[in-house]
Amino acid sequence: MKTYESYLNSMHRLGRITGVIALIFIIGVPALTCWKFDIFPPLGNLMAGLGSLLVIYIPISLIEVMMYTPMAGIGGSYLLFVTGNLTNLRIPALIMCMESAEVQSATEEGEIISTIAVAASALTTTIIIGLGVLLLVPLTPVLNDPTLKPAFDNILPALFGALAVAWMGSSTSGFSQWKVAIMPLILATIVVMAMGGHAGRYIGILIPGLGLLSIIFARFMYKKGWIKVDSALPES
Amino acid sequence: MDNYLDVANSSFLAIMGGMVFIFLLLQCTLFLRKAWNRGVESGMDKAKLKGAIRQSMIFSIIPSLPILISLIAMAPVLGIYFPWIRLSVIGSAPYELIAADVGAKSMGISGLGGEGYTAAIFASSMWIMSLGIVWGLVIVLLFLNRIQGTISKAKSKDAKWIPIMVAALFAGLLSVFLGDIIAGSLVELLPGSEGAIGLGLPVLIISAVSMLFFGVLIKKFEMNWLRDFALSFSMVIAMAAAVLVLN
Repeated sequence: MKTYESYLNSMHRLGRITGVIALIFIIGVPALTCWKFDIFPPLGNLMAGLGSLLVIYIPISLIEVMMYTPMAGIGGSYLLFVTGNLTNLRIPALIMCMESAEVQSATEEGEIISTIAVAASALTTTIIIGLGVLLLVPLTPVLNDPTLKPAFDNILPALFGALAVAWMGSSTSGFSQWKVAIMPLILATIVVMAMGGHAGRYIGILIPGLGLLSIIFARFMYKKGWIKVDSALPES
Repeated sequence: MDNYLDVANSSFLAIMGGMVFIFLLLQCTLFLRKAWNRGVESGMDKAKLKGAIRQSMIFSIIPSLPILISLIAMAPVLGIYFPWIRLSVIGSAPYELIAADVGAKSMGISGLGGEGYTAAIFASSMWIMSLGIVWGLVIVLLFLNRIQGTISKAKSKDAKWIPIMVAALFAGLLSVFLGDIIAGSLVELLPGSEGAIGLGLPVLIISAVSMLFFGVLIKKFEMNWLRDFALSFSMVIAMAAAVLVLN
């Protein structure tokens, strides 16, 4: 029988190979589409827009990796970060399976159950979305009907109203999250009003700017004791 | 290529989506088989392994449906196939819409699918949606074998501040998008404007109120199944209101 260590090593290898293939797909799809249809967006604008998002999403990704990899183990982690949907799907599925199998993270049985749980969950989601696409294709003319246009023109306000309530009402970070959102929201509204009501291309400056200001506000409130954290990162 | 939807709904992107779909099925199956074999080899009860597969699959059905609803909502704006790919690999509806909108705005047009949203700008949305989301995977690929030992160190060093900082960053992002929608309507109320506040703010408010309402239902009646659906239901209600009531 092979040792557990050699199993983990071969899991690392499988994870890396499939992870790199996933990366190639992620980057290959826009790259090939641009090449095939001969459409190339101006690089400068693209970099500015991308940069503004990375300021936010790289720290978020880092924290997610730190929070979830100890729980998910080796095999589970590679799959988690390819298939996504961490907080709404994979993590609850994984916790439930590990609890009912009575196994712990960072043990051999825990490693195996967590890999199985993440893989089974990701298979299910992939198949459901795939079936959904098959059903959706014949519906396209209905969805593109001009009567429905106001609905899809307002997809962002429809998302952000609910997202704002959900996020501000939540305390999954360990404190009442609305506290860090109020000041930046007021500020952002005033700034955009001063710009005539549309952020437009300045969104690339506004996102990192407001991100930085929110951190300064939050630091101030934290130091003053206005934000109390119940628990830090979950124990592994 | 003036109409970006010709690109977005092209058979080329459909084939790409199919390839990603097959890759994901293969990848999951390989991981599942490997872990299963190891479990059997190390003497774990097969019933335990089977139980984990069954439980995880059954649990995952319901929370996968909101992803499908958001795909339907995104299809007329970004086509079917690219959102399919994005939502299958790492993505989530809020992130994809934020990134797609940044892709449009950084090209100097008002927003998603709006006036001047050409194929080149759709391509810009595609790039930003793709390159903005890969970092968790990149970090895992580069550092997973080393990262697990270092977490305890990071935890002890002002561990309470880290989640606040990350939440504050996201609050900044949320504020820009909310502020853009709110300000767009509020400027119309200033003296000297036409006073047509548009649909943005009313749709935002309806969506927020729906979410509050679902929150009450979940708390009062312990309708926990509703948790996963509240966001997508609120979106659909607000979008329907844009057609039915406000138009």
